[in-house]
Amino acid sequence: MKIAITTNKGGLDDQIADRFGRAPTFTIVELDDNTLEIKNVYVVENPGSKAGSGAGVRAVQKLADEKVNIVIGPNPGPNAYIALQQSGIRIYAMTGMSAKEALKRVIEELKKK
Amino acid sequence: MFRITVTGGKGGTGKSFVAVNLALLLAKHFRTVLVDLDLEAPNDHILLSIDKLENEEPIKLFLPFINTSKCTKCGVCAKVCDTGAILLPGGAYPIIFPRLCSGCKACYYACPYNAIIEGYHVLGYVYRTSIIIENTELTLVTGVLREGEEHVPPGVNYTRKKAEEIETDILLMDTGAGTGNQISIALKNVDLTIIVTEPTPLGIHDMSNVLKITNEMGIRTWTIINKSSIGDTSKIYEISNKYNVEKIYEIPYHRDVVSSYVERKPIVVKYKNSPITRVFNEVAQSIMELVRSNGK
Repeated sequence: MKIAITTNKGGLDDQIADRFGRAPTFTIVELDDNTLEIKNVYVVENPGSKAGSGAGVRAVQKLADEKVNIVIGPNPGPNAYIALQQSGIRIYAMTGMSAKEALKRVIEELKKK
Repeated sequence: MFRITVTGGKGGTGKSFVAVNLALLLAKHFRTVLVDLDLEAPNDHILLSIDKLENEEPIKLFLPFINTSKCTKCGVCAKVCDTGAILLPGGAYPIIFPRLCSGCKACYYACPYNAIIEGYHVLGYVYRTSIIIENTELTLVTGVLREGEEHVPPGVNYTRKKAEEIETDILLMDTGAGTGNQISIALKNVDLTIIVTEPTPLGIHDMSNVLKITNEMGIRTWTIINKSSIGDTSKIYEISNKYNVEKIYEIPYHRDVVSSYVERKPIVVKYKNSPITRVFNEVAQSIMELVRSNGK
């Protein structure tokens, strides 16, 4: 399973970016499907951050290309929202904390299921 | 056909005021078409006392549809899309976001499987209205954008194209405010640009922005300083000279202008002896000399 977090400079110590489509980077975390242990963490640039228009769609396109299942970040805009729905990517709307903290909470939530 | 564009950058300097009055004077001697290219807020018809615009035609903008029997989900369309209007969700057919699409057709040409169906969406409407004021016939072409539309330049382009189809001697284009893409469409391939400005810091700033463009494009440019008596015009003269402006006219701040506005009667019709009308006659005279000499 892959979880992406909207971040500024990237990395788990970074704060969650406060805009969805225009977040500079996505920090992508690969989890073991059964144990939910972190297997790998890497940072990708968000093409939406530099786009003239359609930032939300471009951001989701990147997430879809990376085969992300869940994204953690602020509330997406209308275009990004539809794009996420169509791509089957779930969003956990969270801001005002570090990527690490948000990830921890989401993993706890997933373990309950 | 002699093409003139009235522009200026700042809003409210009197672009439509100048365009409407000049069009009426020119129409007395030449077949004249006035084109309202301010698609977001067209109002030349209001100044001309036209209550109902006629001959409506939709402005159609290309919009892609996916032929799912041909599409291989290769994603080329999403990659070439300049506005990010196409999404390729994993394993599904491309999804189009109509509001983001600018109708550039890049996807249509890029698709290797001809899987893009050529559709359209209606961006706005073009109207063609003919009026007769004091035995003078004038044709007004007006472009109107639909509410909520973001893509102005294709609409401006289409409206101009429609106006160019009319057989006429003079095509007088009135642009909206700003110095963006929609203005440069109105400046392409014209014989004369008239920049309407006013002696205020905003007027001067925006005028110099437009002058940079017209100078770069090598267009013959005249300046009209509207409301010239309300401020210091020396700066306008200085900048105009710097950018090779050929002629500068001044329209003083005058009560006649206001009352002609309120009564919806263009000043050249209502106040024939007003000092303002005299300036317009002078400008129109110079334009007609240019038209007769084919812009030489």
